[in-house]
Amino acid sequence: MIAAAIGPRWRPFTILAGAVAVLALMDRGTGYFFSLATLFSVLQLFATLGPVALGLGLSMLVREFDLSVASMMSLAGCIAVLTGVGSPALGLLCGVAAGLGAGAIQGVIMTRLRLNSVGVTLGGLLTLQGITYVLTANQTIAYPNLPVALALNRPILHLLSVRSAAALAVFVLAALVMAWTRIGRDVVATGSDRRASRVAGVKTDRVIIGVFAASGACAALAGVLLSYSLGAASPVALSDVLAPAAAAAIVGGVSVVGGRGHPLGIAAGVLTLCILRSGLSAIGVTPPVHEIVTGAILAAIAVLDGPDLARRLVTWRLDRAERRATAAAARPLSPKAR
Amino acid sequence: MTADAAPRPTLGDRRPRLSGAARRRVALFIRVFALGALAAWSLATPGFLSPLSIISLLNAVSFIGCVAVGMTFITLTGNIMSLCLGVTLSAAALVFLSSLALGIIGALAVALLFGIAVTAAQGALVGYFRANPILVSIAALALITGISELVTGGQRIYPAAAGFELFRGRLGGLPVPALIFFAAVAIGEIVLQGTRFGRAMRMVGSNWRAAELVGIRTERVVAGAYALAGAFAGLSGVLLAARYGSGDMELGAGYDYSAIAAVLVGGTAIQGGQGSVLRTMIGVTVIAAVQVVLLLRGFDEQLQYLVTGLIVLGVIMLHTIGERE
Repeated sequence: MIAAAIGPRWRPFTILAGAVAVLALMDRGTGYFFSLATLFSVLQLFATLGPVALGLGLSMLVREFDLSVASMMSLAGCIAVLTGVGSPALGLLCGVAAGLGAGAIQGVIMTRLRLNSVGVTLGGLLTLQGITYVLTANQTIAYPNLPVALALNRPILHLLSVRSAAALAVFVLAALVMAWTRIGRDVVATGSDRRASRVAGVKTDRVIIGVFAASGACAALAGVLLSYSLGAASPVALSDVLAPAAAAAIVGGVSVVGGRGHPLGIAAGVLTLCILRSGLSAIGVTPPVHEIVTGAILAAIAVLDGPDLARRLVTWRLDRAERRATAAAARPLSPKAR
Repeated sequence: MTADAAPRPTLGDRRPRLSGAARRRVALFIRVFALGALAAWSLATPGFLSPLSIISLLNAVSFIGCVAVGMTFITLTGNIMSLCLGVTLSAAALVFLSSLALGIIGALAVALLFGIAVTAAQGALVGYFRANPILVSIAALALITGISELVTGGQRIYPAAAGFELFRGRLGGLPVPALIFFAAVAIGEIVLQGTRFGRAMRMVGSNWRAAELVGIRTERVVAGAYALAGAFAGLSGVLLAARYGSGDMELGAGYDYSAIAAVLVGGTAIQGGQGSVLRTMIGVTVIAAVQVVLLLRGFDEQLQYLVTGLIVLGVIMLHTIGERE
């Protein structure tokens, strides 16, 4: 049972439970951590970070990396605020459609020209950022439709808001698609071994394009909902989101070597990060420490995921044994010992 | 990260295929044509050759340029890019300003050593365990941001002593940052082309396993490349700190992206193995020249970002025309 708990499939949930337990111990029954208000703020954070982490995680699942999510988020927010003054639904539609389109275009460029995803999405990141600056004339744009902002953040049953419910719905949808449809299996196959899955009849190019479109749409959704609920959109790159999103996806069991991870795991990873963040603030730890914790987790997992870790550990041990053996063999022969 | 770049011949594929040499010639032609068009467009812009615009061009080139020279080594060794050179730059600037009491040389040395230590540690993780370089750099980004906020309390840092004006003066009519940037390019190019370490970096970038099999200590080469990147980022931090006379963690915001844009526009391959510091210098100059011309011709400042992004996308796409067999 312990083996199953730390195995790749359940590890994200074990880590989540561990984080809750650690915070509960630190809380020592004062009740700051275990309150509905803390849980509500955890889910609000989840609504911002979750979809971005899901999109990035999906791109890592097919062995690519979507850097453009950071500026996709701010671009979609600006588009929604600009087009959605009269009808918020129209703004939401425009923002998400922009994300879908931009992601698909990047996917097409990658698969047609067989380009590295980091290069293409880097170009995409800069271009989308540029479009955002041009659209907003480098100004923060206020969203005058304040009732929408209030409605999005109003608590439902003290726990959810429309915003966090939407984020959760996206995760449920992604989990269903990944678990029950052929698309899901094709995505995992493409990430595990692209050539083999192509031979087996998977249309890998379409899978890649679809994954990047989905990633763009997810980031856009998070950006639109965030801008609506803040009542403003700003062109400043939200690149602060890239570090936590990558950390969440990786804590959630997605591996950079591809083919491993599932949406519910990513959700658990995001929740872990959000719980650490809100929980630590509830206990009174300052924001810089959150950054350090995030960074330390990421660095540790990056090393644990490194393909040469096992080899290095083995050679270390062999080297030590060999050195000891040669030292032992050399001792009686060396003139000084005699 | 795409593992299978090999093209597959299919029955339905009727597009005419150019030979490798012809492709390379086409790519070279497009590059030369684009450079020529840019030069003509710049020279036809009134005011481009005025001393004021030349000096502002040189300044823009030198701050981003030093970081870009550093980024070249990371890209060249096959590690794509680092997302944390910008914060390394900011932190090195703060270190420089607060250690000015040691004298200008001492402060410069401390700032450079700081940059080297921060990035060499990442290089060691990447080289020794083959940890994913993007993830390592994102982790370092979060760590450096958190730690420096903790240390500074989010406050601006002011110089601990005078003396840094040396770095913002002029020497023989040229701004000192530009001279330092040219020196950085020269040093980088000599290391890359003239030393065994430079050759080892290119070999590791083009084929890690092969380099390891011929006896190159890949982990040391990668750590060394990262250390060089940190030194150049630190240098840029010193120059920026001297220019503004104070600093905070926002100083280097966005420099990672500008630097990698310059590296790629210069034609260094994103998959590693091919490229040079001189190319990066051309890349920085092209981007800066486009921005100056756009500004002089009265376009919106915001358009600059968009054009930079489109240039990067175009160059990356162009690169495959020349490289695909």
